[in-house]
Amino acid sequence: MRSLPSLRGPRAPPLPLLLLCLLAPVRRSSEDGRTPAASFTSLPVREEMMAKYSNLSLESHNISLTEHSDMPVEKNITLERPSNIELTCQFMTSGDLNSVNVTWKKGDELLENNYLINATGSILYTQYMFTIVNSEQMGSYSCFFEEKKEQRGTFNFKVPELHEKKKPLITYVGDSVVLMCKCQDCFPLNWTWYRSNGSVQVPVGVPMNNKYVINGKNANETRLKIMQLSEEDQGSYWCHAIFQLGESEERIELVVLSYWVPLKAFLGIAVEVVLLVAIILLFEMYTQKKKKHSDDGKEFEQIEQLKSDDSNGIENNAPRHRKNESVGQ
Amino acid sequence: MALRAEPPDGGWGWMVVLSAFFQSALVFGVLRSFGVFFVEFVAAFEEPAARVSWIASIGIAVQQFGSPVGSALSTKFGPRPVVMAGGILAALGMLLAAFATSLTHLYLSIGLLSGSGWALTFTPTLACLSRYFSRRRSLATGLALTGVGLSSFAFAPLFQWLLSQYAWRGALLLVSALSLHLVACGALLRPLSLAEDPVVGGPGAQLANLLHHGPFLRYTVALTLINTGYFIPYVHLVAHLRDLDWDPLPAAFLLSVAAISDPVGRVASGWLGDAVPGPVARLLMLWTTLTGVILALYPGAQAPTALVALTVAYGFTSGALTPVAFSVLPELVGTGKIYCGLGLVQMVESIGGLLGAPLSGYLRDVTGTYTASFVVAGAFLLAGSGVLITLPHFFCLSAPTSKPQDPVTEALDTKVPLPREGLGED
Repeated sequence: MRSLPSLRGPRAPPLPLLLLCLLAPVRRSSEDGRTPAASFTSLPVREEMMAKYSNLSLESHNISLTEHSDMPVEKNITLERPSNIELTCQFMTSGDLNSVNVTWKKGDELLENNYLINATGSILYTQYMFTIVNSEQMGSYSCFFEEKKEQRGTFNFKVPELHEKKKPLITYVGDSVVLMCKCQDCFPLNWTWYRSNGSVQVPVGVPMNNKYVINGKNANETRLKIMQLSEEDQGSYWCHAIFQLGESEERIELVVLSYWVPLKAFLGIAVEVVLLVAIILLFEMYTQKKKKHSDDGKEFEQIEQLKSDDSNGIENNAPRHRKNESVGQ
Repeated sequence: MALRAEPPDGGWGWMVVLSAFFQSALVFGVLRSFGVFFVEFVAAFEEPAARVSWIASIGIAVQQFGSPVGSALSTKFGPRPVVMAGGILAALGMLLAAFATSLTHLYLSIGLLSGSGWALTFTPTLACLSRYFSRRRSLATGLALTGVGLSSFAFAPLFQWLLSQYAWRGALLLVSALSLHLVACGALLRPLSLAEDPVVGGPGAQLANLLHHGPFLRYTVALTLINTGYFIPYVHLVAHLRDLDWDPLPAAFLLSVAAISDPVGRVASGWLGDAVPGPVARLLMLWTTLTGVILALYPGAQAPTALVALTVAYGFTSGALTPVAFSVLPELVGTGKIYCGLGLVQMVESIGGLLGAPLSGYLRDVTGTYTASFVVAGAFLLAGSGVLITLPHFFCLSAPTSKPQDPVTEALDTKVPLPREGLGED
């Protein structure tokens, strides 16, 4: 504060100018019914860009915010090839539209110019137009509306992801296997394969020999065929889909077992079956022997009974006896 | 071994029930859960789905057409050696399939080899079961057949787990080990000599005899008609539901609902078949007619509750008709000829089973909906139950079939309503 009077003295004229400069952006955003042309200072630059990239497709995306939105709104956009982008944010508030401060940022970096601001009724529109041609231009673009609270809308640009969650592939030594990566609705420029030892990814299949063969039936899939599998081939394999605007990858786990693993289980169960059969047959032989002994005893009883029945004149008992015995066994 | 006057109706018979239970699980449960391997084969051999489905079709066809062979061998050698040999064949087929390098290998190993193994196990076992029981035959058969339903539940997740741990080659190796238990089941089939066995003669004579047996032929026709319509819901229900805009998951769930009411129906009908006096054929006709009516009602049902109710009822009645279908046969031909009889019946009725599904699919293609398919299936079932009415002594009020009155004569006519019928045939 004390330095100011000394500064003010010789610098009296610059101060109002300084104030003017400070006020200028605020005034710009508070004026109503402004035409786009008047606020858009980089119009010639934009037209130039449009002419250069007129053969690219146009992507338009929209986010709506209100003064009561308590969470930032995000929109994920999948982008495969270079395009012209048109991002629009609209802000609804019951307060004064003039007092709202509008900014755009890419990541944390403030974007200069190149955006329009418009207001109709109680809705404030802002639009940012640009082009994405390389991977550095991908990322998050956010629009900010600053009133009492800051409201934020974010557009996240990403290359298509290969999101197929895969189970580990189980194979056996000596077998061959096909690892496949597929992209649902996208067409990468190129596919590459890597395998990882720890955190380092090593390319695979680049010198195509009789162990690795890479081919794909369509542009949106790739197949890595590995032949003559051995236990060293076990591990993680990565397929990379290369787009103009970036790369995305997917991991496939390969497990190589030796035949001995299931064979051990098989032999164990076979032994168990043989034991069961032996037990059943031995048990039968044992009960037969017992039955034979008791049969001999019972036959003796029957002969006695018959003798006594004959003497009593009752003949029906004989079959019934036999029936009872056979049922009893 | 002493000749028995009549079936023991218990005792070792319950071990035969246990054996039959595990066998129906290991034969039909494996067949029904094989769909889990289907996806793996399509991916591994890069063949279209239609060609891969032939594996199961060949297996089923060999099992059914090979039934008379199993029966004839059982008549000659007894069920035990035949079933044990069948178990080894079935396991061998799966074992060789684990090393397959092409689809043809699978056709030959699983389809032909395992199929022959299954042909030698299932029919002899059920026939043997019929010989061990008379009063409680239907219940025993019903209990034994529940093995099919319960194993379909257990095996599908088990096979899926095996696939995730060992891939299809290792999984087939372990399914082969599982199938080896058929040998142990075969060991349980103690030979049983019934009094009428020497009377009926060897397999050749029996087969010739059966082919001239009027009621047996009519019964075979009835079962063939029933078989044509029987499988339709299991094959087409899910597709029909999708036509009605059901999601795949609830549709598949509805099929499992039928799979639950199925074993309940089998046991209930088995108990009922033994408790109710008179020829069991009447109960078969009852369940068949009910199933036919339910099938015919399917096209009319649109609301989900109606469809669920119909499916539960279908599961129950179609399960109910299986044990009584097997119980009718001993009443017709006697336990002496049961092996050959069952084998012949299985072979002929399989024609119905093979034709039923493609016919239904064809009707669907021609008419656009499954209405015609379901109605025709119901008609086949009703026709089958109609033929059943022509079986002998159908309208007898209470023939002395289920309770053994006179052991000696019973041994000779073995539960055929009038003693003269049994004697006259021989």
